[in-house]
Amino acid sequence: MFWRRQKAAIAGFHPSHQALIHERVFTATLPAAGWTALTSSLFRHAELVQRSKWALPPRTLDVLVPLIVEVGADLDPKGTLTITADLRGRDAPGKTGKPRDLPVRKPIRSATETWSIDPWLRLRAELRDGSILELLVVDRERTRRISKRNPRGKIKTKRKSKVVQIIKVRRRLPKEEAGSVPVSRPPGWIGTFVREGERRSVLAAAKLTRMPQSGQEQLDRILSVATEPFRWTPRTSTGQRGNA
Amino acid sequence: MTPCAVTTGFFTLGKCGQMAIAGCPSCGRALCADHVTEGGLCPECAAARNQVGHPAAAAAHRRRAYRHRSATEYSDYGWYTSFDAYDRAAFDPDAAGNQDFRDDGDDALVDS
Repeated sequence: MFWRRQKAAIAGFHPSHQALIHERVFTATLPAAGWTALTSSLFRHAELVQRSKWALPPRTLDVLVPLIVEVGADLDPKGTLTITADLRGRDAPGKTGKPRDLPVRKPIRSATETWSIDPWLRLRAELRDGSILELLVVDRERTRRISKRNPRGKIKTKRKSKVVQIIKVRRRLPKEEAGSVPVSRPPGWIGTFVREGERRSVLAAAKLTRMPQSGQEQLDRILSVATEPFRWTPRTSTGQRGNA
Repeated sequence: MTPCAVTTGFFTLGKCGQMAIAGCPSCGRALCADHVTEGGLCPECAAARNQVGHPAAAAAHRRRAYRHRSATEYSDYGWYTSFDAYDRAAFDPDAAGNQDFRDDGDDALVDS
């Protein structure tokens, strides 16, 4: 029997860790202790599993795990963190829509446009200051394919694609929580929207036209957008700086 | 009981508040069993010395690096530099336990 030891090691991993290995997708709602168990299991992966077929998908150890650790540190003791991660990539089945024909004129024979929508990370956390943090990260790729005929009758096809990433963060404040306006504007690439009501919501959104080039940059971008809603409450009441 | 005075959280800072069993030899902060890192240092002191073997020290190191990189992003210079009661409480070990947001009593902030 091949790969016996590694199969046995995988069988001992956390169920969500196993789902990441075999399906590259997982959804879990756990308290902070449950997420600690999952991250501990993920940290043991490189030591116990070497087969490339069972390698962890990209963005697991450099984006997902640090994000779980940071958000897990803010969780309410009775609260839960829900994460849906789909790390199969943009080319996975079901993420690409049907090609759409674009109007053309000679010498272009046909032009089609295809969109791939990859919502690879969703997160919902019940924080210890009573607020609820929701996060969504979506990669959106537009592919345009053009076929044209040159004067000698030769047909050429060209393909061009563009990827943007959308990061949206919403923080629902506790009931009757007083809000405040930050002293400075957020960076130009982050937009903010405040929805008033019994539970005030602060939404921060960013559209990255240049994709993050590393896991660390990706994590920094997500955390930077997630910081903005926390600037809309007085520090002493949100727990950002704590009560005296 | 002397509560652990290590700062926890990323967006909502608070004190650990667990029972302390040791003190950091570098800064003197009270530490619980979970926050004693290599050499008996607290996570922040270990992170400052690039000793990131302990998970808490690794998290502290990552937060330091992130805050260093992103400090100018918001142009909100008061975000990291102003001192308030929370910062001053670091020098008052008795006050540390009161700042934990894990209060589950009637006046808890959580409504669900």
